[in-house]
Amino acid sequence: MPYVVEPRDPLTQSEGVVAGYAQTASRWPGQPLARRAPGAAELSGPARLERRLPLGRSDLAGRAPRRAIGQLIEIRARVADEDGTPLAGAMVEIWHCNAAGKYIHPNDANDAPEDPNFYGAARLLTGESGAITLRTVKPGAYPVPDSGGWWRPPHVHFSVWGRVWLSRLVTQMFFPGEPLNEHDAILNAVRDPAARSRCIARLVPKDHILVYEYQMVVRGRNAALAM
Amino acid sequence: MRLVPTAEMTLGPFFPPEFAAGANDLTGQVPGEVIEITGRVTQLDGRALDNVVIEIWQADPQGRYDNPDFLGWGRAATDAAGTYRFKTVKPGAPYINFLILYSGLMRQLQTRMYFDRGEADERLVAIREGASRCRFDIRLRGDGETPFFGD
Ligand SMILES: [Fe+2]
Repeated sequence: MPYVVEPRDPLTQSEGVVAGYAQTASRWPGQPLARRAPGAAELSGPARLERRLPLGRSDLAGRAPRRAIGQLIEIRARVADEDGTPLAGAMVEIWHCNAAGKYIHPNDANDAPEDPNFYGAARLLTGESGAITLRTVKPGAYPVPDSGGWWRPPHVHFSVWGRVWLSRLVTQMFFPGEPLNEHDAILNAVRDPAARSRCIARLVPKDHILVYEYQMVVRGRNAALAM
Repeated sequence: MRLVPTAEMTLGPFFPPEFAAGANDLTGQVPGEVIEITGRVTQLDGRALDNVVIEIWQADPQGRYDNPDFLGWGRAATDAAGTYRFKTVKPGAPYINFLILYSGLMRQLQTRMYFDRGEADERLVAIREGASRCRFDIRLRGDGETPFFGD
């Protein structure tokens, strides 16, 4: 069945130079983006990526006595395409900072402490229902250098692959009820309020753990169902 | 049911180094002409950019995108000099798709590296450096800006 990927909607997808985020003015192209008719190269995509990208752990929090510091949470994320069809066997990469707001990265100059029991990166495959589950600790907020006081709200980075090359999605998941969400230049660059609110996970408290549910929709749908 | 695609967001400056490394060699899967693709990524003021993540998608030497024995996908990150590097086999297709992810880019940028001029914009054509080396520099913004696609 032919698969279609339509151009992005500028209300639900941000781009360009964004006020309050200085680097965008040095990096986003000054020329308009060209339109191309997607062909075989764009409407095909990598299968079984785990051949090149090894899978990793699904628990970033650890267990006592080597438990990471912070609020224990579980992230249940689901990947679907625009038809709502769950994507089974899709690769999902996840990374976030520790509970103090520090990344495991040589370029992170934030003076927040490292946590020897925290490891901030996971690479998983979705199951039959298109879902992954990650046990971790809630990330902290962190300041953006030279930004005049911009603090990123707690967030989790996601990278996922859909059915075709044009379905590639890299995004960030936010937490509900965080006052910093209102001021974040990245979250608020999404102009449509409904699209913005879909970037915020839903809290579903369970007996022994705080569960956050989140859905990611990758671009593309079957042409036959599109009528 | 029709769902709206999730809003893309910037990769940010802290993509895990272990994710960025180790996926830039596509050789050893099928026979073909081995080539090295290298280039430098720069921003508006000409400064070379460190840790830019570049992903490619290409056909096999026969032009197939669905060969189960050939995974035509790779990832590289630029070093402190702004240089990235892939080793692959020349596809049986006129171009390789490139995707760029970086802090300061609200979402992915898409472009293509062509092997021959043909119909392509000359800024998208790789410069041959010797028999097996292609050079493809990427200027995100400013003089000589690389053309990007908005599909
Ligand atoms: Fe971040």
